[in-house]
Amino acid sequence: MAGEAHRVGAGVGPLLSVRGLTLEYAQRRVFATERTETLALRDISFDLESGKTLLLFGTSGSGKSSLARCLVLLERPREGQILYKGEDLLSLGRKALKSARREIHLIFQDSGLSLNPRFTVEELIAEPLVIHKALESQREIDKRIRTVLNQVELGQGFLERRPSELSGGQRQRVAIARAIVLRPTLLILDEALSALDLSTEGQIANLLLDLQEQYSLAYLYVTHDLRLAGVMAHEVAEIRDGRIVRQDMPTIVLTANLQPVS
Amino acid sequence: MVRVALRIAHGCMLLVGVSALSFALLSLSPGNFFDQLRLDPQISPDTVSALRAEFGMDRPWPVRYVRWIASGLRGDFGYSVSYRCPVGLLLWPRVRNTLLLTSFATLLAWMVALPWGVIEALHRGEWLERAGSVVTAMLLAIPELLLALLFLLFAARTGWLPSGGMFSPSAAGAGLLRVLADFAAHLLLPMLVLALGAVPPLIRYIRSAMTSVLDSPFIESAIGHGIPRSRILYKYALPAAANPLISLLGFSIGSLLSTSLLVEVALSWPGLGPLVLEALLARDTYIVMAVVMLSSVFLVLGNLIADLLLYWSDPRIRAV
Repeated sequence: MAGEAHRVGAGVGPLLSVRGLTLEYAQRRVFATERTETLALRDISFDLESGKTLLLFGTSGSGKSSLARCLVLLERPREGQILYKGEDLLSLGRKALKSARREIHLIFQDSGLSLNPRFTVEELIAEPLVIHKALESQREIDKRIRTVLNQVELGQGFLERRPSELSGGQRQRVAIARAIVLRPTLLILDEALSALDLSTEGQIANLLLDLQEQYSLAYLYVTHDLRLAGVMAHEVAEIRDGRIVRQDMPTIVLTANLQPVS
Repeated sequence: MVRVALRIAHGCMLLVGVSALSFALLSLSPGNFFDQLRLDPQISPDTVSALRAEFGMDRPWPVRYVRWIASGLRGDFGYSVSYRCPVGLLLWPRVRNTLLLTSFATLLAWMVALPWGVIEALHRGEWLERAGSVVTAMLLAIPELLLALLFLLFAARTGWLPSGGMFSPSAAGAGLLRVLADFAAHLLLPMLVLALGAVPPLIRYIRSAMTSVLDSPFIESAIGHGIPRSRILYKYALPAAANPLISLLGFSIGSLLSTSLLVEVALSWPGLGPLVLEALLARDTYIVMAVVMLSSVFLVLGNLIADLLLYWSDPRIRAV
């Protein structure tokens, strides 16, 4: 079903619809006069329902991280639409985009690098609340921070620590706390568990499942590893050379021979 | 406080080492002031020997070094054989003049380079960055001495600005405003030469530091969270880029006494430059030693200031 949109789960309408997304990177080599374009994404289309998880897997260089970055507009695609609750993110004005950004968050693989090294945990989690003016008083902000810290199973003693003083698992919990503090509807997890040891990976995966159940969060989980597919995903898609070449239920993907798609 | 005390103690040890090494090298190098006297047939060898004894130059260099240290602690820094007075009397007015010049030049250089470097980093790949790179490359290619001579030629030909010195004779006894205006006119050319020489490497360093930070994942993460660009610049990027820039500022402070020597000679600014040049030509060791030591003190001071600024500005360093 490469190139066709596939609905994940049933519902009123998909939370996220991607249509015909195409992204290219332009490069100019040293001493060359011409620019070469590399297509990172080719005509990507899929749907994601609220409260569901789509696991997107592929090898290194397949375009999965490029797709994740496109969805939070860190990259601008050449063509296509990113429909969030029916509105195209690529054509939204600044105010509407800011509102949409409250609800969509990207969690990076290496949270040690994606967290501001100078900020304390408290400052990191408070920042989105301050930027989006989500709460009225400092007391409410403090209360929300303590709540999400509890939800990610970190004690209050972590508030004054900085990322360099945390373990990999703790940093990833802080990244998740920062992502959920605004009560989002969609989290994009770009290899968010790959850098963790098995035990921590399992703990974070369970945490994400709990949060999904609690807040009806939708996840787009981008990874090169299918191990968590059976546990976390409602549907699995394979991306290869910038195209979605396979999309199906996790059990089918896991039990089938992964033959090259002709 | 303990940290500061340790750094100061470390700096003092460094100064002792620098002074001993410099004194040894200067003493052991061939030629001294009295060799020139020997060439004068009207001065007998006995007179030269007596003069050497009078100035203590017949003692072994370690003995002279200890006596020089004692003299330095009194503020004299030895005795100038060519000027026949304690070195300190010659030194302090010159140090003041050099510091005036280099402080203004350093301030101007940073005021220009910091925003320029940040703007270039923010506009990477655009015409603004390319134009800036061309200008800095041109400035880098021009030697400071050539720039000084060009400015001197300009001043001499046009008469718009004084071509040397620090004050005009006509300003003596004039009102404060007139004196300040006269001083500013004399300061302008040497200050511009020094600033134009300092700006290009500063811009490149600042641009590099900012670019490195702007490419960081935590900046991308902040953009993805919808944090406004201005907040990202002032609250995220600049503080993160501050550490290498503070180290560079420490180096700028550290070289306040040493960067301007050639320009002072070329533009007749009455600072340490002309004094050191004369002392080198006359083999007046103690003047050279005093300037070397003062420059070392400033280097140590500059590093200490940078360390303290880093400690104050970066909470991660305070936590260590």
